[in-house]
Amino acid sequence: MQFLAPLAFWLAVLAIPIILLYMLKLRRKQVQVSSTLLWQQALREQQANAPWQKLKRNLLLLLQLLILAALIFALARPAWQTRAVASGSVIVLLDASASMNATDVSPTRFEAARKTVRALVDELAGDAVVTIIEVGYTPRALVTSTSDKAVLRQAIDGAQVTQGSADWQSAFALASGAARDDQNITTVIVSDGGLPESGLPALAGEVRYVPIGVTGDNLAISALALRASGGGLQLFTEVHNFSDTARSVTLSLYLGQTLFASRPLDLPAGKSASITLEDLPNAPGIYKAHLSDPQNSTLDSFPLDDTAFAIYQAASARRVLLVSKGNIYLEQLLASLPGVQPYRAVPAADGTIQIPSDPFDLYVLDGLNPPGIPAGANLLYVNTPPNPLFTVGSPFTDMKNVKVNEHILTRFVDWSNVHVLQAKKLIAPEWADVLIEADAGPLVFAGEQNGQRIAAVGFDLRESDLPLQIAYPILFSNLINYLVPPSAFDASRSLEPGDGLSIVPDPGVEQILVATPLEHAFTLRPEANLTFTETDELGYYAVNFISKSGTSVEYFAVNLFDEAESDLRPRETVQVGQSTLTAAVAEKVGQREFWPWLAGLALIVLLVEWQMFHRRNLSTLLETVRPKA
Amino acid sequence: MIFDESTLRKLNQLSLVASRIRKGAIKGERRSSRRGSSVEFADYRNYTPGDDLRRLDWNLYARLERPFIKLFEEEEDLAVYVLLDGSRSMGWGEADENKFDYARKLVAGLGAIAISNGDLLSVGLLQNGRVSAEFGPTRGGAALSRLFNFLEPLQAEGDTDLNTSLRHYAVKPRRPGLLILVSDLLSAEGYEAGLRHLQGRGHEAALVHVLAPNELDPPLAGDLQLVDVESGQTQDVSLDGSLRSRYKAHVQEWLQTTRADCRKHDIHYLDLATSTPWDQALLLEMRRSGIVK
Repeated sequence: MQFLAPLAFWLAVLAIPIILLYMLKLRRKQVQVSSTLLWQQALREQQANAPWQKLKRNLLLLLQLLILAALIFALARPAWQTRAVASGSVIVLLDASASMNATDVSPTRFEAARKTVRALVDELAGDAVVTIIEVGYTPRALVTSTSDKAVLRQAIDGAQVTQGSADWQSAFALASGAARDDQNITTVIVSDGGLPESGLPALAGEVRYVPIGVTGDNLAISALALRASGGGLQLFTEVHNFSDTARSVTLSLYLGQTLFASRPLDLPAGKSASITLEDLPNAPGIYKAHLSDPQNSTLDSFPLDDTAFAIYQAASARRVLLVSKGNIYLEQLLASLPGVQPYRAVPAADGTIQIPSDPFDLYVLDGLNPPGIPAGANLLYVNTPPNPLFTVGSPFTDMKNVKVNEHILTRFVDWSNVHVLQAKKLIAPEWADVLIEADAGPLVFAGEQNGQRIAAVGFDLRESDLPLQIAYPILFSNLINYLVPPSAFDASRSLEPGDGLSIVPDPGVEQILVATPLEHAFTLRPEANLTFTETDELGYYAVNFISKSGTSVEYFAVNLFDEAESDLRPRETVQVGQSTLTAAVAEKVGQREFWPWLAGLALIVLLVEWQMFHRRNLSTLLETVRPKA
Repeated sequence: MIFDESTLRKLNQLSLVASRIRKGAIKGERRSSRRGSSVEFADYRNYTPGDDLRRLDWNLYARLERPFIKLFEEEEDLAVYVLLDGSRSMGWGEADENKFDYARKLVAGLGAIAISNGDLLSVGLLQNGRVSAEFGPTRGGAALSRLFNFLEPLQAEGDTDLNTSLRHYAVKPRRPGLLILVSDLLSAEGYEAGLRHLQGRGHEAALVHVLAPNELDPPLAGDLQLVDVESGQTQDVSLDGSLRSRYKAHVQEWLQTTRADCRKHDIHYLDLATSTPWDQALLLEMRRSGIVK
């Protein structure tokens, strides 16, 4: 045993004032009695057990001195020498990847790792500088270069396991930065071994590996995907057996809460099996795949990858049909708009136009109004032809006082340099908002009637210089996004935990509320380049778009389709740089301080002393107030 | 005055009660002079103030010029000696529980009983190893107010050495009679030898042991320095529950020992706490203990 702060023993001089104060305090209160005779005789009997009485009389003093002694010893920081994994300055890389949630070590691998790191820190010398890096999908330094053990313990307690993959490259970069080429530093990797097989850079100083975990028994859903195929949906599921024994499991598939398929699967050790379900009803919704063991209530020690989600919603790319005799401006515009899949209906030799029977999200009618357009379809008229929805009059050329009305669709539209040769006189119906108008009549309007969105441009693009102006793509992008709103994000792709999701909300959306699988809520403001990054949890997320007209919900899923995480087999070795690391053994000299026990002892003795003091005082009080007999 | 008007009336009533008890109790042992008719001369004795002048032998007075009282065979009055401990420790006790006040009332009560029975009463105050004040011997109704006047100014002061005081009292030859000692017995040297000595002189001894309640069960606790009011001696004590109970047990043991000791030596013994009403002490407790018959 050694003392790390022996100077604290000087505090022993505090015993002198305690004894002095005690002696001063013991100046007894004088009380007159009729005779001391009887007292002397009573006391004489007490002398029989005098040593105990003496001790009892001075017990408070002894307890106070004991408290002082315990505190002084605690302050002197006594420590035992122990065997430790590392000594000196240490960088700890604490694996916080999804596989650390496995319960093969009680309660979890991560808790075991946390305990290991805590023990490591406790056994380090008092002046050892420690950096702890939590290695999740975004590695972060929990604490850098400190020797304060309280801070270190707090940091260790604050470490959180994630449900995603670990980014070891970034973690090693962080560790290299913290090491600053110090060759005396020891880097300790506390992990279940899910490190990349190769490609990790060498680290300065010594690198040691503390493996966590005992068994690799795990089954995982390694893929779940949906796609439209023919008239229906195709669902692809792949299950992998990472254990060393063959397993028979049941794969259950749900749409929402409803089970619609259940398949038994026999999986040899280390093999995978896939199931493809064809011609499922074309129903948008949340599809869930779940693995279970019919023989056993628990499938494996890692439940995170036993469930996966896939979202199917209407195709995200908007299908737009351009009906035109040929308009290079419109063709180029439609081809350049993101999320738009343009189609063109060309006139046959006889001039007739055949409209395809497949429905389109939007029909752009450039001076034509051929039959075959489905009723209720969204329409954009350019060089508006006569139509049954509103009145189209004769052309006019008087373009005085062209005015761009304040509207969400005319935002950033600068009409000052736009010239129009002539336009057809449009009579805007009641349901429409006039966006741009001249004295002689409206040039552009848009509106919605019975769920059908319609916009009309009164002039031929070729009879104006609009396509040459910046206002052209802005106006037409606004109009097309209004007529067929784009999907806010691509839900068909499953995300990995920690991936960002780019969200492009409708112009009218005022607030976005994201509910996570564990029912945490995040509120976002619609803005350009909006990316949601809080995708730590596995499951499906509900994205609520709140606008004045109501709330719409879209979903996306986050799944752990990561073989490195699902393969729980603890690795005996890891490859770092050119060296292969095996499990570290405790061979360094460490220190284990035990001052908290002494401080605890001081506290307990203090409580005892306090209670004894009060018991004495209380009895004195009771005696003096006791009614006389 | 020791007694106020009402207390005095009570005392008169008590004395009557005591007198009746006495008459009933002493039949065959002592005959009352008031009832005696067959008068037979037996002896002379010295006149003492308060003696009935009708019994003075005037002829003898004419011859010898000294007063003598004629004694008759049947008339045997009782000499009653009441000794009051006047040490400082007797001054202990608050208000009604003051031992000395209580003892004075007992002495007055005993005196009243004796006087009402025509007994020869002497009262002595024991202080500093001697008899510092003495009343009597006297008899007759007028003696009562003089007894009160004697008791009134007495103070509990000085040390007690009961043995020495009692021996001192025994030096003077006295007619054997009933000797009642009223004391707290808080005397380092003890009382036994002194009383024994007086018993040897033919006195019948009685002991009234007076203690204040807070001596029996002191309301004290904590680290204290006890100061003896009498000797000024100090005693350090750390008074906790165990020492208190040990003290109480010791006091009880002391009372038991004293009682046993008295029984052994044929001394009437009565221990009284000053919380006991003094009239009850006279009427009941003394009767019970055989001091008053």
